[in-house]
Amino acid sequence: MKRLLQKSIVYVLIASLVSLASPAVAQAQMIGTLTGLRAVERDANLAKVSAVLARAEVRDQMKALGVDATLVEARLAALTDAELSQLAQNIDSAPAGGVLAVIGVVFIVLLILEAVGVIDIFKKFP
Amino acid sequence: MIQAPRGASAPLVLGSEPRAVRSAFYSFFTLVLLALTGCATHRNALDPTAVAHLPRRVELTDTPFYPQEAYQCGPAALATVLRSADVAVTPDELTPEVFLPGRKGSLAVELIAATRQRDRLAYRLDPDPRAILEELAAGRPVLVMQNVALKIVPTWHFAVVIGYDLDAQTFTLRSGTIERLVMSTRGFLRTWDLADRWAMVALKPGELPATPDMHKYMTAAAELEAIGRLEAAKQAYETAREQWPNSAWPVLGLANVQHAGGDLRGAEESYRAALAIEPDNIVANNNLAELLLARGCLDEARAFAARALKHATGTPLEQATLSTVTKLEQATPRSEAECR
Repeated sequence: MKRLLQKSIVYVLIASLVSLASPAVAQAQMIGTLTGLRAVERDANLAKVSAVLARAEVRDQMKALGVDATLVEARLAALTDAELSQLAQNIDSAPAGGVLAVIGVVFIVLLILEAVGVIDIFKKFP
Repeated sequence: MIQAPRGASAPLVLGSEPRAVRSAFYSFFTLVLLALTGCATHRNALDPTAVAHLPRRVELTDTPFYPQEAYQCGPAALATVLRSADVAVTPDELTPEVFLPGRKGSLAVELIAATRQRDRLAYRLDPDPRAILEELAAGRPVLVMQNVALKIVPTWHFAVVIGYDLDAQTFTLRSGTIERLVMSTRGFLRTWDLADRWAMVALKPGELPATPDMHKYMTAAAELEAIGRLEAAKQAYETAREQWPNSAWPVLGLANVQHAGGDLRGAEESYRAALAIEPDNIVANNNLAELLLARGCLDEARAFAARALKHATGTPLEQATLSTVTKLEQATPRSEAECR
């Protein structure tokens, strides 16, 4: 009798757990406009940084610094939206072109390495 | 968080990075510094050709003035711009929402949140002094964040820019306890630079900023939607649709607001209109699939869900679209009669 009681309690608990879980599965998975816009922005930022990474002079510079560019690329995916957008913005405002071209490339490389955590040179004072 | 060093402010904190990186950094450091210093001074000057179309001098004298009480520059500055956007509010009413007694100040995010709560769009301006001038010329005061001390020991301050004078090279602000603070362009831009050039205007939902950017405007409108201010969001989306008729996003925003408000028929029409503009839009495909699933139209829903997932792979939306597809796979087929 006691065993039967225990068993029935277990079954009731299982049933209630299952019913708890099922509404979540059936719930509407609408995507809000803000979520969508942020995803698009992330995509655009990622594309911008990847395009910079794909440039031959950037790859050469990374190689000269002994950093594996494919590893850096993989690490980009781990950045948060805010970090990625900051990086894209920094690349935009970095000095580039003309006599500054070489410095620009090095600077951009350092920016990217900093962002993905390979180096730590632009850290602010505590 | 990284920050491009400006001028000589980049400290040297070298850790365990590879030796090659370190030596390369040292050898280029001076050059980079020189380049950046040049950049910084250039950034602080207003490009005369870029502002040639603007009036030489603007001052929004009608802007109200709320002298701040101790440390409460956030509520005072926010009340000033909200008043200009026709929101009847006083700094005292805003204080509990945006003032953190422990920090003796406000955070920018709280000012944005309080703006949204009053059905106004918190539109963040480009980090460009020209953007401030454009808004002032259009008659809107600009809420700015400043760092009035040093970069390493920041003292944050919120103020409202109400005017500029291109000939005298000045900006005029409502700031703290000073009703009419005139700062040199150079001095103002330095304090603004040190606060990462943060600036916003409060827009009524039917209003566009002076130099509207679709993504920024839609983000501000979508923030209204996200906190449930559906009517204000809807007005903003309609304004955006008129301004950017070739973008799917304003129509999609409208669809989401209609759906949230229970207008399913209207929402479906709008999702289809968004897809007519941008057939591969992930959000429109996914949400239309959800809506059709609720109506029992499984076959059509599956097609849209599959397209959403195809384009969402590798993006932050992958999980959401995948769960829509999974849900549709598990859905029991009903008779076609149910799909109306």
